[in-house]
Amino acid sequence: MRSRNGNFPFLFSGFTLIFALAIKADDYYIGYRLTAKNAQAIHETLSVSKAMQPCGSLEHSAILVLNHAPDETLESVLKREETAFLEFASYQELHVKSNDRISASNTQSLNSLTLPTKCYAVEFNNESVTITATK
Amino acid sequence: MRISALLALFLTIPALHAGIFSSNEPTVKCVYSGTDGHCVEPILKSGHEIVVTVVGQGVAPSVTASPAQAYALAKRAAMVDGYRLIAERVKGVEVEGQDTIKNMMLTQSTTRTSVEALVRGANIINTTFKEGLCEVEMEISLSYSRVLP
Repeated sequence: MRSRNGNFPFLFSGFTLIFALAIKADDYYIGYRLTAKNAQAIHETLSVSKAMQPCGSLEHSAILVLNHAPDETLESVLKREETAFLEFASYQELHVKSNDRISASNTQSLNSLTLPTKCYAVEFNNESVTITATK
Repeated sequence: MRISALLALFLTIPALHAGIFSSNEPTVKCVYSGTDGHCVEPILKSGHEIVVTVVGQGVAPSVTASPAQAYALAKRAAMVDGYRLIAERVKGVEVEGQDTIKNMMLTQSTTRTSVEALVRGANIINTTFKEGLCEVEMEISLSYSRVLP
């Protein structure tokens, strides 16, 4: 049983570790666009770019944790786990655009989903990567 | 003795149902399948919540590298359809019709519909994939607390 003063160095080191992890997280801009024609996905674009300067705050933000292999880039992690990321990110904000054309001979449908390019804090750990939506 | 016990049981079950299982915030649930037409569109009131449920459909392309890719692409297409249906329900659809009449006869009839919206807080509840058709059940709850935090 240690006294309050005795615990202080441990608490301090704990806060330092959390602060260091927070500093270690990099910011990335991620955008996504999906086009579907006649109920078939025809075009999909995922753009990932590292932010040149820190952006946004992380207070009360949603978090997604994905598996991460050593030396794997964020882009390849997102391509592998694209459905999970899309479900996570689309909950925050998603732009929908739809155009249908109906005539006697045929019906055409063109729908597109756009995830507005937004900043995410990304923290790489040994076996996982944590993606946090910034505000 | 048995009659009074049965009577007590009958009185207790509805009371439990009303008191314990119901939440404080009333929910107006309405499934918009687009075909039944039985659901009356509810009006969003203060303190109430409206849950809109839609089922989006998507088809896998005929040529894919693997069944997993077919599933993923069909799910994407179903999600797009689901989001479009949500936008249609919540925001509305713009409809434009054009008829061409030549020599007093209808030669061409075209209808265009378009939807454009920004959707927040939609959830995927259930996904089914059968014979190349993927169905995604999606839900969005609307309330004043979400619109005006």
